Amino acid sequence: MSASSTHSRILEVEGLSASYGHVEALRPVNLHVEEGELIAVLGPNGAGKSTLMNAIMGLVPTQGRVTFRGRDVPRRAPAAAAALGIVLVPEGRGIFAPMTVAENLELGAYLLSDKREYARRYERVLSLFPRLKERLTQTAGSLSGGEQQMLAVGRALMSEPKILLLDEPSLGLAPRVIEEILQKLGELNRQGLSIILVEQKAPLVLKLARRAYLLSVGSIAAEIDPRTIKSHDELAHYYLG
Amino acid sequence: MFDLVAQSILSGIGVGAIYGLIGIGFCVIYNASGIVNFAQGAFVMLGGMLTHAGMTKLGLPLPLAAIGAIAIVALSGVALERIVVRPLWNRGSTMFVMILATLAAQIVVERLTLIAAGDQPRTLPVFTDLPPLRVFGFAINFQFLWIVGCSAIVIAGLALFFSSTKTGKAMRACSINRDAAALQGIPVSRMLALAFALSAGLGAVAGILITPTQYTAFNVGVPFAISGFIAAIVGGFGRPLGAFMGGILLGVAQALAIVFLGAAFKNVAALSILLLFLFVRPTGLLGSAK
Ligand SMILES: Nc1ncnc2c1ncn2[C@@H]1O[C@H](COP(=O)(O)OP(=O)(O)O)[C@@H](O)[C@H]1O
Ligand SMILES: [Mg+2]
Repeated sequence: MSASSTHSRILEVEGLSASYGHVEALRPVNLHVEEGELIAVLGPNGAGKSTLMNAIMGLVPTQGRVTFRGRDVPRRAPAAAAALGIVLVPEGRGIFAPMTVAENLELGAYLLSDKREYARRYERVLSLFPRLKERLTQTAGSLSGGEQQMLAVGRALMSEPKILLLDEPSLGLAPRVIEEILQKLGELNRQGLSIILVEQKAPLVLKLARRAYLLSVGSIAAEIDPRTIKSHDELAHYYLG
Repeated sequence: MFDLVAQSILSGIGVGAIYGLIGIGFCVIYNASGIVNFAQGAFVMLGGMLTHAGMTKLGLPLPLAAIGAIAIVALSGVALERIVVRPLWNRGSTMFVMILATLAAQIVVERLTLIAAGDQPRTLPVFTDLPPLRVFGFAINFQFLWIVGCSAIVIAGLALFFSSTKTGKAMRACSINRDAAALQGIPVSRMLALAFALSAGLGAVAGILITPTQYTAFNVGVPFAISGFIAAIVGGFGRPLGAFMGGILLGVAQALAIVFLGAAFKNVAALSILLLFLFVRPTGLLGSAK
């Protein structure tokens, strides 16, 4: 591990934009994540949060630059981004529903061939989400929404990511389950994992994130300390200008 | 009469297994990409033709010529993916365009084969040159056993590949959710090329197994592709095992139609089965995969 401060930024996004056909869903965006930091990306529905995550991974055609620890992240090559250690848990989870829970986890470690390392990660993920352990041979599609989200996070962790991107992990889940998942994310972050957490609702990330970017109609409207936000009204102020 | 029926059911099973292998080839590519590959027949034709060429032009023994032909055809499957499908895919072409492109590729391969090898039909020697086995009064020829045995081995091998190997699971993941697969680091486009290689190899195996009982020529591909395609639909498109069952059903129906109605009804039987399934059970024997 290099202790130099020149590499203190794990991820740097510069002038990143993306369009669907002629519609520019993401205007040139700049943001960065420090090593070990958990940042939030907030914004209302349709603001371009998912587009931003997909653009970082290279799932959609983009312009601009993404660097990971000073190295260029190739564009239009999500598998290569994953190989660098950037892993996205996409909106809607993207689990392989007809396959078993165990197979889903196995595919998360697709790039790993060391058996012992595999066993170590497998144990680690199952101890983080013990509920998956009871369901290893069930198909992923038969899990509850919360369990599916845990599986999606667990699958991402199987690749031992350096930075984890989560696109609205709370979507469609009961408050108690959301609480549980966010608590696990906090735990992972305290263990040193850098995280970008996308949410619509600011209150969810208040306890976790030191910094948040507010996204509004495809642009970053502000960078804030979410702890300074006291109410929804105050947040709305940023969107309305 | 009973003997004749039983005998023709037997030969229908043999031909049906071949249709089934071709149908599985359709499923493998369809599952990986959503594309219906109409160049599938070219692989079947090339399997027989290249094996014949290997034996006559290079003097190779049959097993070597067959293995060589399967390898070359599998590579040509990769070439089809790289040269024809990939550029269209990257440009965001519609499925319809890509399917038409595979049909065009079929015609190109067929015509090139005509130029290179002429239009004479050829055949291969039977794999085991012994008189038919007699079982309960039925004649079972060895080529039938080769066809059924090889099909069973190929299907068991494929099932094992998709259920137990990491690459097989990764291919299934790509067919379930391509983006999510890429996010796990799975090289999606390499998996697509692999699907074309597998499918082409299956077609070649089918072509090599059937040639000794019939003949092969530059133009046998399309009829085989049509039968394989019907087998895949009858089985529930995208279901390899269903395609194989569909193939057997089709082969037996054709054989019986020939016995009872005459040879001219072979294609009528095939299309009747297709229509019957499209009307009564459009999702096929096993229910379609997507
Ligand atoms: N596949 C797509 N094709 C066309 N437009 C899209 C597509 N995905 C998203 N958009 C548009 O891009 C904008 C941003 O969407 P998205 O990134 O999903 O926002 P968010 O995740 O913040 O809800 C929206 O206006 C949406 O309609
Ligand atoms: Mg979204």
